[in-house]
Amino acid sequence: MGNMKQDTMPVIADLRDFDTRTGNLLERLVFNHRPLFVLGMALITLLLGYMAVTRLEMRPSFEKMIPQSQPYIQNFLENRASLRGLGNSVRVVVENTEGDIFDPEYLEVLKQVNDELFLTAGVDRAWMKSLWSPAVRWTEVTEEGFQGGPVMPDTYSGQPADIELLRQNITRAGIVGSLVASDFKSSMLIVPLLDKDSATGRGIDYHQFSQVLEEKLRDRYEFAGARATLQADEEGQGKIKIRVIGFAKLVGDLIDGLILVMMFFAIAVATAFVIILLYTRCLRSTLLVIGCSLMAVIWQLGIVAWLGYAIDPYSVLVPFLIFAIGVSHASQKMNGIMQDIAQGTHQLVAARYTFRRLFIAGVTALLSDAVGFAVLMLIDIPVIQDLAITASIGVAVLIFTTLLMMPVALSYVGVSAKAAKRALTIDSNAAQHRGFGKLWDLLDRFTTRRWATGAVLVALLLGIGGFMVSLNLKIGDLDSGAPELHEDSRYNRDNAYITGHYALSSDLFAVMIKTPAEGCLNYRTLVLADRLAWELQQHPGVQTTVSLVNAVRQITAGSFEGNPKLSSIQRNQDMLNYAAQQASVNAPELFNTDCSLMPVIAYLKDHKAETLDEVVAIADRFARDNSSEERQFLLAAGSAGIEAATNIVVREANRTMLFYVYLAVTLFCLIAFRSWRAALVAVLPLVLTSILCEALMVYMGIGVKVATLPVIALGVGIGVDYALYLLSVQLHFQRQGMALSDAYRNAVSFTGRVVGLVGITLAAGVVCWAWSPIKFQADMGILLTFMFLWNMLGALILIPALSYFLLPKQRV
Amino acid sequence: MCSVRQYVRLALCATLVLLQAVAQAAGYVDVLELPAKPSALAQRSPLLDVARAGERLVAVGQRGHILYSDDAGQSWQQAAVPVSADLNAVHFPTAEQGWAVGNDGVVLHSNDAGQTWSKQLDGRAIGALLVEHYAALASAEPGNEQWPLLVAEGERLTAEGADKPFLDVWFADAKRGYAVGVFNLILATADGGQSWTPLQDRTDNPQGLHLNAIAFTGDALYLAGEQGLLRKWDAGQERFVAVASPYQGSYFGLIGSPGELLVYGLRGHVFRSRDGGSSWSQLDSGLQVSITAAAQDARGDYRLFTQAGHMLRAGADAALQLLPQTQQSPVAGAVLAGDGGLVLVGARGARTLSAE
Repeated sequence: MGNMKQDTMPVIADLRDFDTRTGNLLERLVFNHRPLFVLGMALITLLLGYMAVTRLEMRPSFEKMIPQSQPYIQNFLENRASLRGLGNSVRVVVENTEGDIFDPEYLEVLKQVNDELFLTAGVDRAWMKSLWSPAVRWTEVTEEGFQGGPVMPDTYSGQPADIELLRQNITRAGIVGSLVASDFKSSMLIVPLLDKDSATGRGIDYHQFSQVLEEKLRDRYEFAGARATLQADEEGQGKIKIRVIGFAKLVGDLIDGLILVMMFFAIAVATAFVIILLYTRCLRSTLLVIGCSLMAVIWQLGIVAWLGYAIDPYSVLVPFLIFAIGVSHASQKMNGIMQDIAQGTHQLVAARYTFRRLFIAGVTALLSDAVGFAVLMLIDIPVIQDLAITASIGVAVLIFTTLLMMPVALSYVGVSAKAAKRALTIDSNAAQHRGFGKLWDLLDRFTTRRWATGAVLVALLLGIGGFMVSLNLKIGDLDSGAPELHEDSRYNRDNAYITGHYALSSDLFAVMIKTPAEGCLNYRTLVLADRLAWELQQHPGVQTTVSLVNAVRQITAGSFEGNPKLSSIQRNQDMLNYAAQQASVNAPELFNTDCSLMPVIAYLKDHKAETLDEVVAIADRFARDNSSEERQFLLAAGSAGIEAATNIVVREANRTMLFYVYLAVTLFCLIAFRSWRAALVAVLPLVLTSILCEALMVYMGIGVKVATLPVIALGVGIGVDYALYLLSVQLHFQRQGMALSDAYRNAVSFTGRVVGLVGITLAAGVVCWAWSPIKFQADMGILLTFMFLWNMLGALILIPALSYFLLPKQRV
Repeated sequence: MCSVRQYVRLALCATLVLLQAVAQAAGYVDVLELPAKPSALAQRSPLLDVARAGERLVAVGQRGHILYSDDAGQSWQQAAVPVSADLNAVHFPTAEQGWAVGNDGVVLHSNDAGQTWSKQLDGRAIGALLVEHYAALASAEPGNEQWPLLVAEGERLTAEGADKPFLDVWFADAKRGYAVGVFNLILATADGGQSWTPLQDRTDNPQGLHLNAIAFTGDALYLAGEQGLLRKWDAGQERFVAVASPYQGSYFGLIGSPGELLVYGLRGHVFRSRDGGSSWSQLDSGLQVSITAAAQDARGDYRLFTQAGHMLRAGADAALQLLPQTQQSPVAGAVLAGDGGLVLVGARGARTLSAE
């Protein structure tokens, strides 16, 4: 074992030989009042645990996922109340798998579904639409004027004549593609939701609403009570299928996903337990490591709950990270204490020695983690900022739980004698080039000319190759459907079905046209809206557009007996007023109450970043050319509009964040090593990992998005830990005059095992996210695992290789 | 010297930039001033009429779109059009000379078989035409109460601006033609559209019903319109005179040849006359949808098309025969193409029906 440790810390077997007045103030404060300290920690844990249990809420808020100060988003938020058509509704499709909708049995089920939804709390009944809604009507021009009636015949009793009439009414009403699928195998219920429940006055509980949909509709009609199949996220095999999409359903599914991810925490804990146990072979200290790390998680959750933060799909990941970081630090403490005990030091003294030795190193490492989190504050997306804050809290908590509590607890519990002996054996084996020693020998070769050149060349090739691949890196979400969930999730399968069988996609990009009151039925406004729509339609990614103009054209033709030649925008204001008045009944979502805001909605074929960028460019150019005092064209609303804005912010943030995180890490290394060469040795492997991570994203089809930003910051921020551990020790020995090879060998045998352990525990903490039903969590899990492991390898191999070139003896 | 010139140039440049900026700040360009945009989507977007210009087909539609096809509707090129108003009808009396009319009272002319178009008239000038024409008549014939009313009508049109659409156009030859539209709007020209004369006083239409269509059947010129309006040109009286109408609903068009006349309109109504409109018999379409277009096929049979895209054939008997189609979309105009097939236009653009 390195001399570094035992410089000033003699082996003291008897406690009476130990002077309790030694050590710094903090050490004396804690270790000389151990019972009081432990009691305090226990009380705080109880209090915060109580907080966490009673106050913690799960609340995925979509507002928090969007960049609040991006101009497009501000336009959207300002005018949100006026955008009824883009509001919060759920689309329920009832499909007949054994026939078409003209089946009395199907229509009966549809009626029950309709009634069930109508009575569900939170539904805005007045605007609900389905084949069974009296408000869904057909109209026809006759010699005497308009004639019309409800699509579902008033006297419907399931007779063939009724069905025939229904068939005719559906054609006359022109609802094929909107309420009725183009293949007539399904029909849709459009269910707008209230912002607040009219009975209770409180906001809608989306999770509960989603549960109602599952239990009352899907369970009953699609699965006929076969719960197991339902819960397996599979589709029912019966005659009727219920497909649901919409914001509320998505949130419901996300919360379900959150609950599952919280279960993963148990797996992460079990994995860490096994790893530590394998490493130490000492049950009591393993339990202690896990316990202290769990304590950090309880504290973190308690404080977060106390401060009023909720658990969302991003912040749910913080406990995993905190736990993993906690485990790795606690293991180091245990490692140190174990070695001292093995050499015969009393466990309390050993604990104090370890504290002295590792407290500063631990704080430094935690600080570098904190840098990774802190940089996230720069991203103007609340959910990421919340992640940064809650994670910073967690890191701060770790100082108490793992850096202080762990050694104190170990001073009571100690380690098993067998394990301590084993630790000693491993070290002596290593010194004699046996066991782990062989591995260290292998790594040591990278300090020689041939191996160093080879490693640097391979790294360079990987870097160049990775960079070439990473040029294809895309921004945004690349798959169709709701990006939050997997492409093959039930929600996205339903979404694909609905997109495939109905005319309108679910990727809406809206430009808002803002005018003074009554301005939306101004002739010029309508003409410009029509021109904008036409320009948008020119893009191949635009399926179709919808705005008040469509209604005006249709109603104008209608008032000329349906003459197709008058499907136009007339200059006559009376005619436009009439059209708007009719539209306010038939299509109220196309403009707001005082006619000062109308959206032009483009339905996009996908939400790929290029599509969004190009559509934004078209709309933006049009807006700049045509906005005036009396009429502003404002980007952007709708799901695709928000995503376009988010992409813009993410692209920008990705660059600035990389810049700042590397700046911070480099400064950190410069301060720690006081040598630019050493800083370079520490940072270059991280750069390689960052490049390869981007290449991996290209390979796996993951775009740069809100969820991947934290990964990049954390990968670098936590990744530099390894370099700090290894390089600081190596430099210490080099500066004492050792040759690079010996210095590295010493560093590796002293902290190399810890580097390995940290890499593995961190990776184990996040790898199970890969199975999360929430897609971006899975992406984060995969990428973080990659970064944690690759950074570890990079540190162990590239630090010696780069040191060979950059840190020769005379340059240290 | 040189520097002075440069200054002048700079100043000019600056003025131009400024002017451009002013133009941009003004922003809005009226549909009558804004040239139609070329677009690959034009042939799949709403088209409202199609006509033959020799072997060529010319179709017109929304946003000033005019398309021409030299391969019987298989492929289309977009013409250069100085306006972006919706266009409703097109007619070529010769292979080269053609006229298109539409919204905002716009009349366009082409003398190169539809490749380029120039504006001959728009709705902003129509009111003045009426005022001038009927004021002259009023001063010539002070006792006639009709003239002051028509002068007033002209003044009203001027006040309301270009808001009256033309719905149909027909030219006898490269000189003489008519454009008709809503509220009894009707203009005639005898000089290929250089000047236009209002005919509002010669349609026997005091209620000002819409004139939906004008058609020549080889032996007579007819107007069809709102509320059963049916008129026939009487060369002797130099006016359109009333024809006994079999129906009080609106007609959307008529088609015919010497000895046979079909008129069609709302809710599947079709009537046939073999005696120039003196007597009529109803042809049963079996449909409740409006019939909006008609054309003669290669065999000389009349085909009728509905707003929902049905195709009917008028045979010898009283019932129309519903013909099957592979695809069905609304039809607003139809024409027999050079290859014997039919070309249909409508809300979803142009499509072809092969000869069989």
